Parts: sequence; C-alpha cells; structure tokens
Amino acid sequence: MKLSGIKYLTNQGIENIWKNKMMAFATFCVLLISLLLVGSAALFYVNMNSMILGLGNQNEIAVYLDPSTDQDRVASLQNELAAIDNVDAVDFISKEEAYVRMQNQISRGRAIFDYIDGYDFMPDGFSVTVKDNDRIEETTAKIAQITEVQSASSSPQVAEFLRELRRVVTLIAGALIIALAVVSMIMISNTTKASVFARREEIQIMKYVGATNGFIRTPFFVEGMVTGFFAGAGAFFITWAVYRAVYRILTEQAMLMNAFGIGSIIPFSGIRLYVALFYLLAGGIIGALGSVVSTRKHLDV
Amino acid sequence: MVELQNVSVTYSSGVDALNNVSLKINDGDFAFVVGSSGAGKSTMIKLLLKEIDATSGVVTVNGYNLNKLKKRKIPEFRRTLGFVFQDFRLIPSMTVYENIAFVLRVIDAPLKYIRKRVPYVISLVGLHAKTNSYPDELSGGEKQRVAIARALVNDPQLIIADEPTGNIDPELSYEIVELLKGINDQGTTILMVTHEHDLVRHFGGRIINITDGEIVFDEVITGTNDEPLPEEELAAAMAEAEQRSDTAQIPADAPPAAAPADAPVTSTEDALIDEVIAALTGENGGAE
Ligand SMILES: Nc1ncnc2c1ncn2[C@@H]1O[C@H](COP(=O)(O)OP(=O)(O)O)[C@@H](O)[C@H]1O
Ligand SMILES: [Mg+2]
Repeated sequence: MKLSGIKYLTNQGIENIWKNKMMAFATFCVLLISLLLVGSAALFYVNMNSMILGLGNQNEIAVYLDPSTDQDRVASLQNELAAIDNVDAVDFISKEEAYVRMQNQISRGRAIFDYIDGYDFMPDGFSVTVKDNDRIEETTAKIAQITEVQSASSSPQVAEFLRELRRVVTLIAGALIIALAVVSMIMISNTTKASVFARREEIQIMKYVGATNGFIRTPFFVEGMVTGFFAGAGAFFITWAVYRAVYRILTEQAMLMNAFGIGSIIPFSGIRLYVALFYLLAGGIIGALGSVVSTRKHLDV
Repeated sequence: MVELQNVSVTYSSGVDALNNVSLKINDGDFAFVVGSSGAGKSTMIKLLLKEIDATSGVVTVNGYNLNKLKKRKIPEFRRTLGFVFQDFRLIPSMTVYENIAFVLRVIDAPLKYIRKRVPYVISLVGLHAKTNSYPDELSGGEKQRVAIARALVNDPQLIIADEPTGNIDPELSYEIVELLKGINDQGTTILMVTHEHDLVRHFGGRIINITDGEIVFDEVITGTNDEPLPEEELAAAMAEAEQRSDTAQIPADAPPAAAPADAPVTSTEDALIDEVIAALTGENGGAE
C-alpha cells in the first residue's frame, strides 16, 4: 500500500464521521457515558484505597527501650530500626515526650502523676511508621527481637480492620467496575453494530469491486478511534471539573478530613496524567475495535 | 471468458435454482440471458461473482476456477470484472466521481492516473455535468450510467449486468444497452440478464434462455434494430405472426426454430423471433 493509499483511507475514516454524524454522535455519547461510569468507579476506588492507607499510616509502632541503654546505643538503634524492611520512618521519643504521651493516654486516675517526680524513670523510645500497614505485625515482631527493646507494640486490630476494609472495598469496586465495563461493552457493541449495519450495503459494494477486508476496515478503524478519542477527551474534561469540585467541598471540611482520612483524597493534579491516558487509550482502542469487529459480519460476501 | 460445466445450485432452503447448466461465453461476446422471474438468472450471476458457490459442477471466470478460489483471492478475482445491477449499488455517501474512483483506489492506482481516467469514463457515459453530484441527486438512468462507468473504469475483461434496465424508464433502457454494446465493441465481454424482450428483439445477438434452472435456448438471433413498437402495434405484429406461422405453439423443449442469423431480415422472421422468445419464456412477448 502506497502512502497516498494510507492517506486516502485515513481521510475516508475522518470524512465518514462527518457523513454519518448521527451515528458517530450516538457512538460518541455511548463511549463518553461508558468511560465516565468506569472512570468514576475507578477514581472512587483509588481514593477509598488512599484514604484507608492514610488511616493506616496513623498507625505506628511504639518502641520503648530498656532504661539502662546508653545514649550512644540509642543513636545507633535508630539507624538499625530504620534499616529494617518495611520501616518507613523512625522518630525518636525522648523521656520527656514519652512522659507526656503516657499522661495523655491515661485519662483516668491522672492524680497518680502528682506523686511522680520528674520523668527520668521513663524509657527512651521510638515511634516507627511502616510502609505497608498490612505487614505491621511482622515488623513489630522483628523490632521486639532486638535485645535493648523492652516493648514494641502496635494495634493489630486496627491494621486487621483496615486490611479487611480494603479487601471489601476492592472486591466491591472491582465487581462494580467489571459490571460497568460489561454493560458499556454491550452498549458500545450495539451502537457500533447499528452504525455499521446502516452501512452494510456500502461494505458489500466495496467487496464487489474487489476491495480487500483490510481496505474496507481501515476507515472504520480510523473512524472508531477518532470518535473514541473525542469521547475520551470529553470524559476527561467532565471528570476534571466534577472531581475538582468534589475535592474542594470535601477538603474544606477539616473535621471530616481528620475523622475519615479525607486528607488522603488525591488531588486531581496528582492523577491528571493517568486519567487522561486511561480515557484516551480506552476510548480510542474500544472505539476502533468496536467499529472494526462490527464490520466482520458484513464482509463475508 | 465464462464457462459453466454441469453446474447445479441448490439453496439451503432446498430450492434447486440451477440444474446441470453448461455454458460457455467467449471473450468479446455479448450475450443476453433471458427467462421468467425465479428462473435462476440471478443465481447464475451470483455464481459468476463468487457470491455463492456451485453445489456441483465447475465455474470458470476470466481464468479463475471459482470452485478452488481461496477467500483471500476473491478481491483479486473481482477486479477482473465489472458489475451492473438493477438497484445500481452506488455508495450514497460518495459523489459520482468518488464512486467511480473508489474502484481505482482499491487497486492502489496512482493518483495521477485516477485523475485522468475517472473524468474520461464519466464523459463516456455522458455525465460530465454530474461529476460532483451524489447518487440521490440523479435519475435512475443517470445512476445506471454511473454504475456502468464504474464497471468499466478498471478496464475489466468482463462486465456482468443483472437486469440493468429493470429500474429505469423503458425509453432509457435502449440507451443503457447501446452503452453496453459500445463497450462490447471495444472488446469487453458482456453478459446481460434481462426479461425485457423488446430489448432483446431490438438488439439481437446471442440469447440464452433459462427456464426453471435449465438452459432451454441458446442461439444467435438477428436484432430488428427498430425503435420500440407501441403496445398495439406489437400486439398486431404478434397476431399477424401467429396467422402466418403454421405452428402457433412451440413446445418449450423443442429444438429452437429461430431462423439462421445470416438469413436476410424479413418481417416474418422478426415475428418468428418474437414468438420463439415468447414461447420459450412462457410469457406474452412485450407484455412485460
Ligand atoms: N438466497 C436464496 N435462498 C433460497 N432461495 C433462493 C435464494 N435466492 C433465490 N432463490 C430461489 O432460487 C430460484 C431462482 O432465483 P433467481 O436466481 O433469483 O431467479 P431470477 O433472477 O431468474 O428471477 C427462485 O426460486 C428463488 O426463490
Ligand atoms: Mg433476478
């Protein structure tokens, strides 16, 4: 095939959008709605996940050392802890801070502190945050094995709960996305089928004058892809506008933010590129394939 | 060249559309295929275009054995022939020019050649003024001329026409056949299906009659080359012919009684031809 031939077929595909504008518009709308449905379900999931992970990050391992540990050893222990697999950050907690923490934790019977003189008796400690909250127990156990560590504790119930929550959310979101994708595929397939059906005679005529299947399909491919790109671009801009509005509303509620980890909602700028790529690629590929696959039935003459 | 050897076609519905048909059309021939509706004419055309396959027998067109032709090779084969159908089969979203140029695009012809060749064939069919019109903006006769231009733009060895005059005014039918005759004069083989006996009578040539899926008549007759007769005149001519001829009824399977092609054309002979056609096609000549 010469370059002029490829140019001709590409032009044909683009012209066909205009010549069949009603059907092209129908395909565009169906693709747009499908992309928005699947896209918003995916974005919802990604944010839920991020929120749950955010909550998990508030989960730390409290490490307290044997009070007899000397200061040099305390410093080297900090590095040792940081080197442990899955450890994200290690913050030193001085005796004084530890004392304040303890005071805060003990709400009842605060009066006891009146009898305690100073905080020298408190051990030095570290607050360790982990990368993967799901492995917090394993990491806690590892830290506890260090000789100088008197106690290492995390709240495994919280980790367990978050893990379970994520599993449920993933399952539900996954099922939702698959269901929406299937519904979308059916809608898209029906629309492209109708669109191609309206032009089945054209396809037959082309076959009669000796056009190969590839020759007939190429404009359909281009047409579907371009329509899909437009739908992808449309879905992107709609998502952008809606996402930003929702993001603003939610993040303005400082209380909500802290309570539900809404602070972990991903700002649109952080995912813009992925959203754009997903929409354009999915739109283009599904549009092109839907259109080409629908021609198959009519090519057999 | 077209050759059918003992070809039968049975549709999946069980209808035997063609029954042991053998036929040979040589390069450069012009042949009419006549026969009543449902006789199997279009079935034969579909065979020749490889739209359907023979149930048995061998079909050879332009040197391609269609029985053995691979799917992949069908486009290549179809490029060696042109087709003209009753329903025109133009692409509605393309202009006259684009419809015709498309055939050359398919074979990846150089753009320069397309730009010269397409206007040339458009002028051959006298549609220069309609070059940029869409099919919807054309009359039936004009549409069919576009279809003919498309059929010949690729300079095919063979043009197959299935009732090309079926959807256009009778007066214009003659123009269409004239056009096909002109193309035939340049060496292209033409096979034209029709049930308009006036046309056949007028132009003459090789007449193949298919009745109930069988070839019952295959002879060369001389055309009258008359202008189409009005209905009454035709009826009168028929009556006259019946009187003159001893055998008013010719059995369908009797050997053809047509006069030899080289005999001088007389009015008696014309009438006889009428009658033969009428009898063989099971219709009243000209009543169609
Ligand atoms: N696709 C088909 N399926 C089943 N039967 C068919 C099909 N096409 C034609 N026939 C039958 O085959 C016979 C011949 O049809 P056809 O070749 O179209 O006749 P003609 O063109 O001479 O009018 C008819 O009885 C018709 O009903
Ligand atoms: Mg027919």
